[in-house]
Amino acid sequence: MMAEGRRVAIVGMGGAFPNCKDLNDFKQKLFAGKSLIRDWDKAQALGKAIRSTVCGYITEAEMSLETIYSTLVLEYPETFIDHLNRVPNGNLATSDIGSIWSMIATQEAIKMAGWTNTETESEQTGVVIGSGSAGQIITGTAWHNFFELKRKSRALGSHTVDRGMVYRHAANVSCLIKNKGVCEAIGSACATGLGNIGYAYRLINFGIQDRVVCGGVEETALETFIGFDAMQVLSKGFSPAESSRPFDTSRNGFVCSFGCGIVALEEYEMAKARGAKILAVIDNYHNNSDGDGNMFSPSFMGQKRLWKGLFGDQLIKPDVVKVHGTSTPVGDAIELLSVVDVMGEESYHISAPKSQFGHMLGAAGAVELITSIFMLEEQQVLPCLNSDILNPELEPFQKLPDWDGPKKPLAEYRHLISKENIHKSINQIVCLNYGFGGTNSAMSISKHQ
Amino acid sequence: MERQEIIDGLVDILRTVRTIDQEKLENVTEETDFIADLKTPSTEMINIAAKAEQKFDVEFDDDDIDDLGSTVKDIVDLIISTKEKG
Repeated sequence: MMAEGRRVAIVGMGGAFPNCKDLNDFKQKLFAGKSLIRDWDKAQALGKAIRSTVCGYITEAEMSLETIYSTLVLEYPETFIDHLNRVPNGNLATSDIGSIWSMIATQEAIKMAGWTNTETESEQTGVVIGSGSAGQIITGTAWHNFFELKRKSRALGSHTVDRGMVYRHAANVSCLIKNKGVCEAIGSACATGLGNIGYAYRLINFGIQDRVVCGGVEETALETFIGFDAMQVLSKGFSPAESSRPFDTSRNGFVCSFGCGIVALEEYEMAKARGAKILAVIDNYHNNSDGDGNMFSPSFMGQKRLWKGLFGDQLIKPDVVKVHGTSTPVGDAIELLSVVDVMGEESYHISAPKSQFGHMLGAAGAVELITSIFMLEEQQVLPCLNSDILNPELEPFQKLPDWDGPKKPLAEYRHLISKENIHKSINQIVCLNYGFGGTNSAMSISKHQ
Repeated sequence: MERQEIIDGLVDILRTVRTIDQEKLENVTEETDFIADLKTPSTEMINIAAKAEQKFDVEFDDDDIDDLGSTVKDIVDLIISTKEKG
């Protein structure tokens, strides 16, 4: 399937990150060991109607954006103002907030990549960007006004579809940069961010495209937050900075966060020939399904098969395993044990960046790939905040007769997970993300030699 | 309501439609074509019609909107005829 000799380089990146001014601010705060999670005033205002109130959110003001509300329809965003004039008004009119983040992040990534307009607008340049959710704010408000308030459909204006459709981010980015290649969105719940980048990797690897802008987005929306809040899977009872605590015994759920991660991929030899700064090289990507019929529970066997597929016939020996590590009771335990089962107990470290900014859902895999590129650049493993105590007892599922994974308690693997930055030689990182529906994604990236 | 008063009101509406080049709104007349002259995306015509309903306190028939032309005169005529229908 692969075109002979085609490798893929990461040559640009950009994004929108909670409580950060820009990409550099994000990087500095991460390596300074800071948490980007805050009390969310919008959630707190709902009182007892909502269970969790901590979040890695991004306000419009923090992105220098402002909503212009419709005069015809209650609380309906008609369009937006970009106070920094990054995105033209015509493109803002067809966007929701996440699409605007995507366009700004794409501009950053292409600028970093150094692509010419001719290259960007080529038939060989694609856009693959997805989200874990629909355009909740636009469609939710539109439906409320139509069905409940009995407004005419035309009062909603002509931008409900383009701002609510599944691939709105990819579509808006494509209309902005005017590429003539592929424009699509892949959806795989919380594996979406990495899934889109993995699909883009294959487009280049298989010889279909030479360049692809790709990633994941999850726009700040209570409409998204409350669905997870209802499932009682969100962290509760800790201060914001202590709420996301992967692998810690007292973890009780993930922190629902929002953001955007975009990377620019390019066929390796083309990037090298034009003297591009290569941030990392993608070694391989693999994705699969648990195949156990379970929508929510992680699968030890599914994750083991994921690793096997990632290895393929390549030598992959990561110095860091960037885990999904959501801070949910079941998820973290299964994941740590599957990593240990495949990788052994020595010679690598585990990074769980959600400990610093929470779970960005459809953006998670893309933003966490960016954090992995940071780790390659800085030769440091990011800290796993709040992983204070690992369970000294066996997990209940480890005591079942059919369990054939590691027989030691999580505390035995303490040395793999550090609460402090670790300075070490990092040449290769494996990134893991999983999603509802039993979907699993893995990507291996290496430092450019 | 005078026709020029309606045109001025329509220009006020067009100033809120951010897909339209605002510099082209300086010399709008009844002959101005939304699509040909102002480069208004055709999808925005329904927004303009809905905002005109609110501003001039009228409710257009769906068929009239379907048949609406793309000049300022077309919509001025529709506003006046709709008002006359009461």
